[in-house]
Amino acid sequence: MNLLSYFQNQNSQTHNTAAVAKERLQIIVAHARRQRDPSTLDCILPHLQQELLEVVRKYIMVDDDDIKINLERDGDYEILELNITLPEQELAKNEK
Amino acid sequence: MAALELKGNLLTLMVLHLLETNIDNIANQLAEKVSKAPMFFQQAPVVIDLNAVSDENGIDLLEVITVVRHSGLIPIAVRGGNSQQQEMALSLNLGILTNTIPTNECAPEIEDPSISIPSQTKIVTQPIRSGQQVVALNGDLIVLAAVSHGAEVLAHRHIHIYGALRGRALAGVNGDSEARIFCQQFNAELLSVAGQYMVNEDLPEDLLGKPVQVYLQDKSLKIISL
Amino acid sequence: MAKIIVVTSGKGGVGKTTTSAAFATGLALRGIPTVVIDFDVGLRNLDLVMGCERRVVYDLVNVINGEGNLNQALIKDRRVDSLYILPASQTRDKDALTLKGVAKVLEVLKKRFEYIICDSPAGIEHGAIMAMYFADAALIITNPEVSSVRDSDRIVGMLAAKTRRAINNLEPVKEHLLLTRYDTKRVEKGDMLSAIDVTDILAIPMLGIIPESQSVLHASNSGTPITLDRESDAGQAYLDVVARFLGETPPKREKKSLFTRLFGK
Repeated sequence: MNLLSYFQNQNSQTHNTAAVAKERLQIIVAHARRQRDPSTLDCILPHLQQELLEVVRKYIMVDDDDIKINLERDGDYEILELNITLPEQELAKNEK
Repeated sequence: MAALELKGNLLTLMVLHLLETNIDNIANQLAEKVSKAPMFFQQAPVVIDLNAVSDENGIDLLEVITVVRHSGLIPIAVRGGNSQQQEMALSLNLGILTNTIPTNECAPEIEDPSISIPSQTKIVTQPIRSGQQVVALNGDLIVLAAVSHGAEVLAHRHIHIYGALRGRALAGVNGDSEARIFCQQFNAELLSVAGQYMVNEDLPEDLLGKPVQVYLQDKSLKIISL
Repeated sequence: MAKIIVVTSGKGGVGKTTTSAAFATGLALRGIPTVVIDFDVGLRNLDLVMGCERRVVYDLVNVINGEGNLNQALIKDRRVDSLYILPASQTRDKDALTLKGVAKVLEVLKKRFEYIICDSPAGIEHGAIMAMYFADAALIITNPEVSSVRDSDRIVGMLAAKTRRAINNLEPVKEHLLLTRYDTKRVEKGDMLSAIDVTDILAIPMLGIIPESQSVLHASNSGTPITLDRESDAGQAYLDVVARFLGETPPKREKKSLFTRLFGK
């Protein structure tokens, strides 16, 4: 390997992985900022869960653990999933 | 969980003995001492011993404190002194330490070290790492490994280190001027025997890395190769 | 019986995360079920070095707080079959870790993995203690440089005092020294502490020496653990470290490794 190609090789390799690093960091930093941004769902999720729980409790007694809220991302879509496990007694009462 | 814990603790503190009342002499001599090892004295807590001047009324404690603070030391308490001096100390937010210097009228027989406390030797086989402190009360300390940079070993009597001494070693911490320090490889950060200390800047370079012993002679530290 | 290994150093920036990723990958490449946990809550980086940063959904703190289960939090590596990553939380701080919580997570992981690698945060505070507390063995990462050596010494002292094994008077945590960013040229010129100097001061057995290498930077840039780059000197040195850790003698190479030259094993 001559001296010139040594430098070229060094250069291109460094350049390549640095570009990869930059791209990866941009994505991760943008994501982290979005999480801190109060207008996105990630940030409001815990409050949303708490308030939903309070509304449900006006009618049915449920535990903190009985409400599950989940946010999934699939490409451009965001799916907000809400799961409330109702106590069996309450269900039985309602069916009567 | 408890928010705090109050514990008794045995600490090594520097004591500044005032031997006269002339503030200019005190200021000059203190400045000279400090200039020899400025880093060592920087923000070090110090107790001011007033025993030698307790009969004098001419001392202005406020002036003394100002001089001491100016030198970089932090006065935390006074020891001894008459009631007027102690009152002054309290008003300056300093603590009062009980006088530990035995005086004739109150020295109980128990204080004779030869009968009261059996000598206890402490043996450490593991290296003493940076940030660790090992204290041997009432006796010798024997370390069969190295004492790292930033570690500290203290003993009421002799200190024997069968490895490298890279940290701080303080022998005779209760004032035993017969205490000695022995080590296999001498690279100490600080040495002290009965309160006479020496920092690494002052250590004899020709002895570095060699086996040495350290003892007191005419109130100053002697370091000789073994 | 599963083994818990803490990767620790006291000082920051010496290569704890690089080593955690490389060492865990090296073990997993042998088909050993291995999980690597990021204990650096608030400053997570293991996911970046492992290249799985976009797949983090739940993390260690979520699992401890019961906000997600362990299976949701574990990320399976796409390159090496028996390798899993448990990321740290980025939005919490280290106080979110409790001994009880960490114990609970480790108990479950022990049933599933043979090696649990704990990537410690820098410092000697709560987070570092959480990472080392349950360890059976420790990799102490040290650069041949004065502040790193002293910090490592401090950490070795803590391993002997503040871990479960120390507190319960069990057999002590097994210590291994790993010297990273070693530059032979600078050592020969007398500008850098030699491996012998460092072992002399720290007095713990040397497990390996990783040479200062461009390939480490390239590996973290692209999110590939260095042990997957078999061409690189640092990658090979880490593979040797894994072999020595498992009690083997690493294969002879054309170019003798630094470790062999200095310690002749």
